[in-house]
Amino acid sequence: MAIETTQPGGIEYPGEEAPTPLQPVSRRSEWLRPHAGWAIVGGVVGYLIGHWLGNVIASGYINVQGSGQNDVATVLGLSLGVAGFLTGIGALNYPLAKMIGREPPPAVPEHNWVRYFRMTEDHKVVGLQYTVGVLLFLFTGGLLAMAIRTELLSPSSHVFGPGIYIALVGEHGTIMMMMASSAVVGPLGNWLVPLMIGTRRMAYPRVEAFSFWIFLAGYGVILTALFFGGFPTGWTGYAPLQTQASGGMDSYLVGFAVIGIGMICAGFNLAATIINYRAPGMTWSRVPIFVWAVLATTALLTLATPTLVVAGLFGVLDRTAETAFFVNEHGGSNFLWENLFWFFGHPEVYIMALPGFGIVMEIMPVFTRKPLFAYKVAAAGMLGVALLSFFVWQHHIFQSGINPDMRPLFMLTTELISIPTGFLFLVALGTLWKAKIRFDTPMLFCLGMLFNFLIGGVTGVFLSDVPVNVTVHGSFFVMAHFHYTIMGGLIFALFAGLYFWIPKMTGKTMNKRLSKWHFWTFFTFFNLTFFPLFLVGILGQPRRVFEYAANLQTLNDISTISAYCLGASFFFFIINFIWSIYLIPHDAPDNPWDSRGLEWQTPTPVPWFNFEHIPVVLSDPYHYGEPDAPPVADLGRVLVSAGGAPAEAVGHGDVSPPGDGGDLDPRPPIL
Amino acid sequence: MADDTVRDEEFEGFVQLRETPEEIAFEVRAQEGALWTGGRLLIGIWAFAFAALAFAYFYLRSANNENLWRPKGITAPTSAGAAIFAVTVACALLAIFGERRFRSGEALDWEVAGWTAVLGALVVVGLQIWQLTELPFFPGSSGYASCFIGWAVMNIALVLSGAYWLETLLAREIRLRRAVAQDGGAPRSTLPAARLFRVNLNGCTYFWGFIALVGVFFWVLFYVL
Repeated sequence: MAIETTQPGGIEYPGEEAPTPLQPVSRRSEWLRPHAGWAIVGGVVGYLIGHWLGNVIASGYINVQGSGQNDVATVLGLSLGVAGFLTGIGALNYPLAKMIGREPPPAVPEHNWVRYFRMTEDHKVVGLQYTVGVLLFLFTGGLLAMAIRTELLSPSSHVFGPGIYIALVGEHGTIMMMMASSAVVGPLGNWLVPLMIGTRRMAYPRVEAFSFWIFLAGYGVILTALFFGGFPTGWTGYAPLQTQASGGMDSYLVGFAVIGIGMICAGFNLAATIINYRAPGMTWSRVPIFVWAVLATTALLTLATPTLVVAGLFGVLDRTAETAFFVNEHGGSNFLWENLFWFFGHPEVYIMALPGFGIVMEIMPVFTRKPLFAYKVAAAGMLGVALLSFFVWQHHIFQSGINPDMRPLFMLTTELISIPTGFLFLVALGTLWKAKIRFDTPMLFCLGMLFNFLIGGVTGVFLSDVPVNVTVHGSFFVMAHFHYTIMGGLIFALFAGLYFWIPKMTGKTMNKRLSKWHFWTFFTFFNLTFFPLFLVGILGQPRRVFEYAANLQTLNDISTISAYCLGASFFFFIINFIWSIYLIPHDAPDNPWDSRGLEWQTPTPVPWFNFEHIPVVLSDPYHYGEPDAPPVADLGRVLVSAGGAPAEAVGHGDVSPPGDGGDLDPRPPIL
Repeated sequence: MADDTVRDEEFEGFVQLRETPEEIAFEVRAQEGALWTGGRLLIGIWAFAFAALAFAYFYLRSANNENLWRPKGITAPTSAGAAIFAVTVACALLAIFGERRFRSGEALDWEVAGWTAVLGALVVVGLQIWQLTELPFFPGSSGYASCFIGWAVMNIALVLSGAYWLETLLAREIRLRRAVAQDGGAPRSTLPAARLFRVNLNGCTYFWGFIALVGVFFWVLFYVL
């Protein structure tokens, strides 16, 4: 049935105040206001000041004179560079104004292109900023991956030396992991969550915007590592190599800490929003499954990431103030880094995986026209995964720094976590069961994600087992495993989400043929790239080494050629995007997929304030295929029905007016 | 219209927002909830950060590599440590006491207590920096020394963030005072600004309680054990 998406306009209701006209606000010239250009200038100036200051402070130190490497100057330069960048974008304006008691200035809508280069309080703009930022990370990391695979074309003829090769590997890994930590929560979490829970705004919109700009600053910091000689540790930054490395290691430590702060801010804002800003009627049992996924992820972002920031601080202190946290000879321990890093690092895996599952489970009911199977099990599974992820980190150090007697315990906890993860998989399969599937591009990416994640997940169960772990540790088998879970899981889910929500985000329809070309090339070459790496791993090829046994060349060459094709497959997306959005645009209808999701009940493009009236939610959004399904929500007192009962079948008297709350208000009273 | 103002045409395409009184009340309650949640989340974030420091302390202590966890006679200056500890706890008590007086309607008492606590926090930061210049050990001389440096840096950041939060509330209250004077003042007013202020203050007070707990815990670790 057709979906009513119109909202009433200009209707007066008793008790309503007349609309407050938007007041003209005095402004400086557009070019003088903070924007990305000033941020870059601020970053450069900050770096120069910091570097100069570091030289003043530390150039006389014996170790600096002996080595010619001034880590104090590098760290101060990068830190003040980030501070300058944030000052230039205007992130510090309100925090400083608060010190003299100022209230935040009223948010004024902007609809020119310049808003994408500014700090903004519009969550939809921040979501699009994140989308571009994440794709930029992905592109950079992808180029580095091509360089790595090029080196591995031949076992003995080299394009790069071993030093450059390991720098490329480290840079690729770090950029990709940082990108992946925000790949879904940043673009789709920020864009969608307020619309899905029926609110007009984020709880902390300035914190949200700050999280994006500091994320971007962290990207710049990580890239500077290439100019300081890279870092030899890979993305895990293990000591004692960390302590001995050149200036690129400073970029790694500062960059990880900076992005960590951004991750904490993003999680902080989203958690407060989901808990407090749900519309009347949006009880916990009606919250969309994607929002559950984001909520579980925010718990990990806010609680696990501080450990990473502190570990980064310790690393910086070791390299600048000459403490000895990770120096065994002076009472420290290199295993301390491994523990702190993986206490963050393993929850990080679920920071990446959970939102991906959220997307898949949100999209599948739309294309199967069936209710989400076992909704409550899915929500519980996500919380279970989030909780258990704090108790498994030591499986990363089975081979080092762990009492052997502790291995069975952490083997058990790791195998335990496969149970709630299995729940999530079964929920997805249950939704597919006996469904008449519409094989549109978002659904294809969802199915691709399930296929890939199954391989990644099953090999993960093998790896949790101590004997297997000891056998294949540090090999390409591990590398293939986590590429199947992260790239095969998260990136496939990200593209499923982008293809699904781009019509709502941009108001334009993507070209279907190009979309499907993208999927099939991406899926095929992804598997051809990474599946051979399981085999070379089992046959003994170690990670992070630029030479390998000659008998492994065929498998490596298949992988490398496929990797080039995999990289090329992204051009289908880029060309499609430019073609469909800018060159030959086709306006998207308000609800092209016939979805019951609250976000689809808004007009396209979504107004600045999302909802003209705060909606009253009447049911969860998964009653597909049910003839007597209740409407999803009352939007401004016009009942909206999608795939269920006709709107007129439910009397207006059945719902409370907006804001009345009453029994529908899910939140307890405060104070 | 002057060039430096926003033209009405800039709002073309944006339907003006029509908020009912019920919607405004809903938004205010949501903001109150967000402030409450945010305050507690902030404590959680800092708790995990300091848990990482505590983990480092106990890990290095139990590993005792090269017998260099804490060579005999190595202790941070105890008098400065005791002063930092005492002033931190006093600041927290002042913040808690001030909030209680505020809730009973005595805004001036809270202002005095609050400004004193901010001043005390700055003293803590000053003492902590001074103590770093007087350490009888090199930062990398032992595991204990490294952890102590880490603690000093993190404690400065923690106390400064608490001081910033309290100072912004005090500054806000000065501006708020006149706006809510006719409505019973900031402690009693039912206006949204005053309600939000009180929730914010409550969160800040909890945060200061947390700072004091952290101070006690690490004082025991570094000076008593």
